[in-house]
This record gives sequence, structure tokens and C-alpha cells, in this order.
Amino acid sequence: MTDIGSTPDMNKLNTVAGETLFKRNMKLFASSKLSLFFSAMAIGFILMALGAPLFAPHDPNEADLFLRLLPPAWMEGGDWSYVLGTDALGRDVLSRIIYGSRGSIFIGACVILVATTVGVLAGLAAGYLGGWVDVVISRLVDILLGFPYLIFAIALIAMSGPGLQNIIFALAYKEWVIPCRVVRGETLATRDVEYVEAARAMGASKRYIMLKEILPNILSPVMVVSTVRMAHVIILEASLSFLGLGVQPPTASWGSMVADGRSYMLDEWWLSTFPGLAILLLVLSINVVSQGLRDAFDPKFHD
Amino acid sequence: MNLGKFVERLLQLIPVLFGVSTIVFVMMLFTPGDPVDIMLGDQHVTEQMERALRHDMGLDLPPVERFFKFLGNAAKGDFGLSYYHRAPVAEVIASRLPATIELSLVALIIGLTISIPLGVLAAVKKNSMFDRIATVTSLFGISMPGFWFGILLLILFAVNLHWLPVAGRSGFSFEVEPITHLLLVDSLLRGRPDAFWDALKHITLPAITLGLPLASILMRVTRASMLDVLDRDYITFAEAKGLSRMKVIGKHALKNALIPTVTVAALQAGSLLGGSMVVETVFGWPGLGRLVVESIFVRNYPLIQAAVLFYAFTYVMLNFVADILYTVLNPRVKL
Amino acid sequence: MTFKKTLIMLGVAGAMALPTLAFSQELRIGFSADALVLDPANHRNRATETIIRNMYDGLVTRDSGMTVLPELAESWTQIDATTYEFKLRAGVTFHDGSPLTSEDIKFTFDRLTKENAMGGQTSPRQSLLGPLKEVQIVDDLTVRLILETPWPILPAMLPFQEVVSKSFVESVGTDGMTDQVNGTGPFKLVEWRKGDSVIMERYDGYYGGAAGIEPVGNACVQRVIFKVIPENASRVAALLAGDVHIIDNLPPHMVKQVEANPDTRVMAVNGTRSTYVALNNQSGPFADIRVRQAFAHALDRQLIVDKILGGNATLINGILSPDAFGKNQNLPVLEFDLDKAKALLAEAGYPDGISVTLDVTGSDKETGEAIAAVLSKAGIQVSVVVGESSMLSTRFRTKGEPIDGEMYLTSWGNGSMDPVGIFEPTHRTADRGNSSGYANAAVDALLDAAGVETDRAKRAALYSEAEALAAADTPFLYLWVAQDLYGVSNRLSGWSPIPDSRINLHDACLN
Repeated sequence: MTDIGSTPDMNKLNTVAGETLFKRNMKLFASSKLSLFFSAMAIGFILMALGAPLFAPHDPNEADLFLRLLPPAWMEGGDWSYVLGTDALGRDVLSRIIYGSRGSIFIGACVILVATTVGVLAGLAAGYLGGWVDVVISRLVDILLGFPYLIFAIALIAMSGPGLQNIIFALAYKEWVIPCRVVRGETLATRDVEYVEAARAMGASKRYIMLKEILPNILSPVMVVSTVRMAHVIILEASLSFLGLGVQPPTASWGSMVADGRSYMLDEWWLSTFPGLAILLLVLSINVVSQGLRDAFDPKFHD
Repeated sequence: MNLGKFVERLLQLIPVLFGVSTIVFVMMLFTPGDPVDIMLGDQHVTEQMERALRHDMGLDLPPVERFFKFLGNAAKGDFGLSYYHRAPVAEVIASRLPATIELSLVALIIGLTISIPLGVLAAVKKNSMFDRIATVTSLFGISMPGFWFGILLLILFAVNLHWLPVAGRSGFSFEVEPITHLLLVDSLLRGRPDAFWDALKHITLPAITLGLPLASILMRVTRASMLDVLDRDYITFAEAKGLSRMKVIGKHALKNALIPTVTVAALQAGSLLGGSMVVETVFGWPGLGRLVVESIFVRNYPLIQAAVLFYAFTYVMLNFVADILYTVLNPRVKL
Repeated sequence: MTFKKTLIMLGVAGAMALPTLAFSQELRIGFSADALVLDPANHRNRATETIIRNMYDGLVTRDSGMTVLPELAESWTQIDATTYEFKLRAGVTFHDGSPLTSEDIKFTFDRLTKENAMGGQTSPRQSLLGPLKEVQIVDDLTVRLILETPWPILPAMLPFQEVVSKSFVESVGTDGMTDQVNGTGPFKLVEWRKGDSVIMERYDGYYGGAAGIEPVGNACVQRVIFKVIPENASRVAALLAGDVHIIDNLPPHMVKQVEANPDTRVMAVNGTRSTYVALNNQSGPFADIRVRQAFAHALDRQLIVDKILGGNATLINGILSPDAFGKNQNLPVLEFDLDKAKALLAEAGYPDGISVTLDVTGSDKETGEAIAAVLSKAGIQVSVVVGESSMLSTRFRTKGEPIDGEMYLTSWGNGSMDPVGIFEPTHRTADRGNSSGYANAAVDALLDAAGVETDRAKRAALYSEAEALAAADTPFLYLWVAQDLYGVSNRLSGWSPIPDSRINLHDACLN
């Protein structure tokens, strides 16, 4: 009935009585082979990050000046114990890519977590409470949106010094406005819906209504937006590292690996190509997954 | 369209600009790194010289005073002197701006020309092989880190194949009197096809690097909105009347489907201006983005402040343009 | 013309333009930075000076052996300790045809040294002229430079300044001087495409140039273009493809490629930049001289030079470069010796090794990591932290205040090859370039004495003695002086690089 990429026929899908919208949509998501494949890839990356010491053939920071710039194993001069070659200091590229996934995924996840939490709360407050709260938050959103993210990030990092925490904050500072805007819009739309009216009539506090009635129903767009943004944040972090402001040496970071390798691109192309490929695949898998989620949760696709 | 609304929008600019200036000023204030030190570098200098330089740069005033001085001057259009270029900041930015604008415009054109036909076709041939390939390609497009993609293009086309130049905006033998300061336009207006080709060759790689991710985003938007429109009642009605599919799409669906595309394009244009920093660095493109990044690293405060104001202004204006476009294209929506 | 016809014309023109239209006598330089301004008095930037120097000549200049030679001046004599008299050449004209007279010399130096003389601002190059008090016009072609106090290095410092035309500056103002040029140099400005390139062409009224630098006469090539290409790989690619004929800042790892290419070769010259690791002598582990010396013994500098710099550097054991005036050629060497290093560390209280932080700027990251890798063999854990140079300067170059940090990989340039420009700032107590907190009154006294000593031999001896004293204290890990590497096309002749990193194209020819 369902094959690759085509939308499933709603009428034929069994809906067990009492099954929530969420569960049904997740089943929809899982029915697409493309989504499943890339979900597996994304999970693969996460596993790689978590289990880096197990997977990496070498210590990513072990420099051996006598083994610098070895080409990938299948090329002339290559060595199968250094499958993807070595960098300018003789460190194994494959191991650095494996360990590098930690930085990218961890930072991406943290930034999204922080940004979403702050953004959701701010959006709820702005949308539901209205008044001066809304005005202040909306103005702040406008101001932050008018900022090119790079200047902001560079200045913030310059101010507080490099380091994991600071990078996360530098990126989250602007990122929260996105979920905030989405949540505010959704909140405004659902403010006066019946069940909210009912709760109000029953004397529920504002906080209760915001958190218990409105929030659960706007979670799906938030989830979708978050996965999309995570992909974007990973690229932002790579760009920061590329400009030299990211994770510190000797920690491997894909962005800084691409940056370090660009002087060597004429002859030793593998130094920049493989880390860049890693970024591409990770971000791609996240994007496909989020696309799948969006399709599954979008009622228009169910007809 | 309402003049009142227009004025209201303009007024909204003011708190935003003020907020942005304050934030950037405070950030610069707390950022360690003394511009005088940086500028002097290793050079042999006495206390007196240093103090003179500091005074010239206006850095010996207390911060609050500096801030208000900056605001006051900015309102008059005077953004101070760039520490490094020893010329008015406004002039320095103005000299580098056309390069970035030209790059962004060409990237936008590339983005739109690729995305609209592809998006429409993908929607019309929904779930066909074409659609699937287009969707996958667009996903690739938005997943590609720009700096990496740019480097790859550079190595392939400029270094290995040598079809295109390695860096910069123009070759040397061409002197084209500026009219619009956009090389591509000016060279045509002045009847210099050789200069046009040269400028085109130089802008190709950076514009593609910026334009393809944009095309990917716009293609998805176009496809989604086209699907949405094709679904609507008035389309089925038109088809029921006996109109051919092509006519239906061309006359009725397309115009409405393009509304989100155009509005998103206007919004993305703002981020193009800002996001060109990395691309300009990779390709040695003499634009504003590269200038701003360099300025941050040497703490060229006046230039940074002015540039940030410029970006904020542009962003608000582009948002406004997007809103206007939306009303114009969709008469049912009031501003 | 119809639309169709225009398209066809474009297509044909495009096809014709494919082999790039270029002046056959057009010399192109792939340069790593753009000029900041084109006003010789209004900047403190080496790249800017390099570009400007082709359009503006100075009273004196340097040849490739760093000897000071008369240029616009025909000769000079030192009348007394504070007076120098310069005789100008006759018949020198600016690009606009006006003649050079002593009025222009006086104007140039007044503009450089007097407060607010440069359109209301003070020239940032003022300090390069030390105690220059005034310029006296003796006659149309003779001037006297009067100093406040004796300054033996005046001739060595004069090449940094270029002469401007009084009437021109007065007519265009300092604002106009930013991007308009009227000089006495072999090339005149055609166009400055900011951020992209500086285009110059031969000035056919050139007086010929310094007599000591052959050949004298007009420039060899018709046009010169400085093309700005900051990306290393792109710059080298442009050279290999034949798009440019000279590139500066050739990264060491690309040397073999440029050599291997049949149309290009590498030219190297001993640089003037001393690279070292500043150690915090005030507090922390490096306050103990044994720890400092242990690190010196643990660091295999030659390995790093061989592997990372491709062998293109000379080790130094004191701050002065091997070719500098006053260099002490007999400094003790702290040889690479792991056992000695470990023994010294143990003696200082670190029998099981030590953990330290090395601060570097982004461009030195690779070298810093190499140093860390090499030191790890001695049980030393170095964590390399990349920071912005502005921030690191603030933390280390504290002028006597407490230093925040342990090790700082940095360098100091010495364009004049005179110790005053490097020894004093880096080693004198609380001086502006002293990133180690090194404070030795004996060394200070020697430097002060040498600063005013007029007898060359005595001066050299003072600096040598100071260098020996400082080296014995090991306030820094003295590393190397890297060579400046340039890639050039084999079509180029008549040009070779100079240690002060200028690229003077007067005699460069393209075959």
C-alpha cells in the first residue's frame, strides 16, 4: 500500500480508538523509507559521537610530525591504518572526524535546547499575556532579527573568550527568536479556542492555561521547527569554526578542519573535503527527518 | 496602499535602530582588545604618540559620551572616521557596498530562475521521479555548508579546469566608468561586452555558492505553495470548465503560488547580505561582508557600528518590501 | 540593434575574450592584503607601504642587502650629532610634471612630525622619525634635518618615509590623498579598486631611481597591478595558472608545488621577524629559570622548522636576527636534550611533568600545535588556546602590569634591521612589546646607552653584550627567523625579494 515517498491513504490506515494525533502522525512518518533511512543515518551519527573512543582507530590528537599529510589509503602513498589520510600535524583524519561529530552534535543540540526553551516560554508569554509583555518581547525579537548573526557571534565570543559554553550562548542568543515567533503566532491563534475558554471559565490560572492547555497543542510545529533549525545551527557552528572562533584545539571540529585544510586544497584535498562531507551528511539527514516530520504532521498531506 | 501604514513602519525603524546601536556599542565596549594597540602592532612608539593617536580616534572620552556623540553624528549622517582607512566610515562602506549588492542580486536571480520553474514542475508532477529528484537535490542544497561548497567550486573550476578566475571581481584591462556601480550593468550600458564577460566570469562562482542554497529553499517553498494552490477549489472549477491544464496553471495558479516565494525571497535577501561574509572571504570578493569581518578582528569600532546599523536598516526595509509585495500580489490581504 | 543581434555580439565577444585580454607588458602581483590608504603619511601598515613605495620615492631607500642608498637625495652628510644635510637631485618631477624642490621635502616632514599637521590629525608615522625637530631649507635643492637629540639610526629609519608634493596635498587635502596619488616614483596610479586591486602604469618622466640600484632609468614594464588575494590556496593557484607573476607570503608547504611547476620558482630571503614564545617571568611556573631552560631543552626546534616550515627558517638563540646590526654571534645554545629537560623539571619540583597553556593567534595555530606535540615527548602537557591577537596583546603586553597567561607564541618584526626596533620593545622593563614581564636593569642600562651611542662599533658591542645577558636569563623560548617566501613566474627577471618585505618593481621585467 505505501511505497517510497508516496503519501499514505488515510482511510486505509487503522486508527485505534483513543490513539493520539501525535502517535498516528509518527506512524505516518515511519512509513516513508526515505525518512527511515535518514533517521538511521542521523542516529548513526549520534552513536558515532557517543561511542567515539570505540570507533576511532587512533587518538585524534596524537600528532606525529613524521607522518604528516599522508593521502587516503586508496591513493599512492596511503596507509590503511590511516584510512582517510593524515593532516598537517600527522593526526588521523578519520579519527578526528569521528570525534568531531561530538562537538557539532553536542553544540547543535544544546543550542536548540536552550533556544527552544527560552523561545517557547517567551512566545507563550507574549502571545497569551499580551500587553506590554508582548510589546517588549516583540521589539526585542525585531532588534535581534536585524542583526547579522555572524557579527553578534564573533563579538560575543571575543567578549567572553572561546570555549564550548560561550559558543553555545553566542549561537543561542539569536536563535531563540525563531521558536518564539512560531509559538507566539500559534498561541495567538489558539488563545480563544473552546477548551481554553472552558479552562478560563473554570477559573484556571494564566500559568496553568499557558502550560497545560496551549503548550501541548503547539508542540508539533515547535518540534518541526527545532529540527530544521538544528541543521542550520550545525552549519552556523561550522562557519564560526571556519572563521577560527569555534571549538579550541586540539579538539577536532569539522568546521575548523575544513578551515585548516583550505591552505592545502591544491594538493592535499582530503583535509577539507572529508570533514565538509561529514557536515553535509549529518545536516542532510536532519533535514530529511524534519521534512518527513513536517509531512507527517501536516494535515494537508493526508488527503 | 495606506500612507499612514508606511509612516508607521518607518517609525518602527527607530527603536530597532536605537536598540541595535546600543547593543553593538555595549558589546564593543566590553570586548577586550585595544584598537590603538592593534593598529600600532610592533611599531616603535612613545607614550606621547600613543596618546595623540588615542585622542585622534576619540577613544579618550568616557564611553557614555562616546555613545551619544556617535548617535548625534549618526543622525546627521556622519559615522566618524574608520581607524584603519583614515577616511569617513560612510565613504569606506559605500565603496565596498556595490560589490556585495551586485553579488546578492545575481545570487537572488540565480535562486529565482532555478527555483521557480523547478518548484512549479515538481508540484505539477507531484510524486514523479522528477519531483523526487528535485526534492532530494533541494535538500542537498540547504544542507551544504557554504564555505565548503565554495572551496570545492573554486578548486574544481578555477584551479583545476581553469575556466574561471581564482579571485576578485574584475580583470584589469577594463576601465568602465561607473553609473550604477554594478559592474555587470555598467559594462553593458557603456557598450563594453568584453568588460561584461570579464565581470560575469568573476561573479559566477561566488554567486552560485550563495545562490544554490537560496534556490533550494525557494524551490521547496514554491513547490509547497503550488501544491496548495492546485488543490484549491477555483482550480478544479476552472478545469471543470474545460480549460487546459497548462492554461489553468499559467493563468490562475502561478500568480498566487508565487506569493510565498517572492516574500521568502525578499526576507532571504537580507540574510544574503549578511551571509555573504564567508563567501566573500573564500573568493576574495571585495564586498562589505569581508570588510566587516576584518574590522571586527581589528576593533575598527566606527566601521562596525555603522555596518551593523546598515544591516539592521536593510533588514527592516526588506521586511517591509516583503509585506508590500504580499499585498500587491494578493489583493485580498490588507496591509 | 535588435535584441538578437546584441546577444550574438555578446557571444562572439565572449568567445574572443576567452584568452584573457592582457597588456603584454603587464606585471601582476598576487598580494595577500589591500592597501589601507594611498597616503604615505597616513598609515602604519607594511602591505600599504609596499604598494605605495612603487608610486612614491623617498629621500633614501634600501637595496636588497639592506644598505641605505640615496634616492631622491643625491647625497647626504652629517654635519654634527644632531644635524644632517641632504642634497637633492636636480630635474626630478612629480607625476603631474611639477618639479621636486626642498619645499616639498620640508612639507613632507612637517606633515609627518608636527601635531595636527595632516588635515587636523597627527600622522601615525610620527614616531618613526624619533627626535626630528625641524627641516631647514638651505636652498632649492638642499635641506637640513635637525634633531632634538642625537639619533644614530636616522638614516636607517628614513627609508620608511616617502616624499609628497606640497602643492598637490594643498590642493586635494588629506582627504584627497587617501585615494589620489602624485608622487615621484617609477609608476603612477591608474585606478584603485578597493578591496580588489591597485593598478599602476609607468611614469615616463621618471628621473631614473637610486644610482646604486641598477639599472637606472624608466621602469621596465608598462603596467603593474597589485591584485588582492587573501586566500593562500587561491594566491598560489593564480601563480601556477599564470594569472599573476609574483606572490608574497607563500606558505612553506606549497614550496614544492611552485618549484615543481615548470613555469614558476620560489625566491626566499631572510625575514626580519623573530618568532619566539614569551614566558611569564613574573609568576607561575616560568618564574623559575630552571623551568624556562627545561622547556628550551625539551623543544626540538629544528624538527618543527624542517617539518612545518619546510626548512625555510634559521634558528635564533637571542632576539636579534642573524643579519641584524649588533648581533651576538656567540650566544650559548640550549640544545635539544630530553633528559636534561626532565632533570631540570624534576629539580624545579615537577618530577612527573607539568601542564601549561600556550596562547596563540589563529594564524599560528599550526605552529603552536606542533610545539605542543613536540613538548609532549618530555612529559609536558601543553594545551593550545587560540585567541584574537588584540585580546592576547592586552593580556601579555602589559607594560609592567601583571600578565594573565603562561606562554604566548608571537613574533616581532624589525623592518629597519636595527636593534632599537626590536630589542627595546620586547626586552626593556615594562616596554610596550614586552610580553614576558622580563625586567633586568643591567640590560635596560645597556639598551639605553646603545640608543644614543654614535660610534657604530661601540654600539654594536653594547647590543651584543645585552643580547648575551638576556639569553642567559632565557626570558623567552627563542625560536627562529623565518624566511619570507615568494613565488615568481619564470618570465620575471630583474627582481629579487628584500628582507624588509617591500616589492619594488622599478627594475622588474617580464620576458
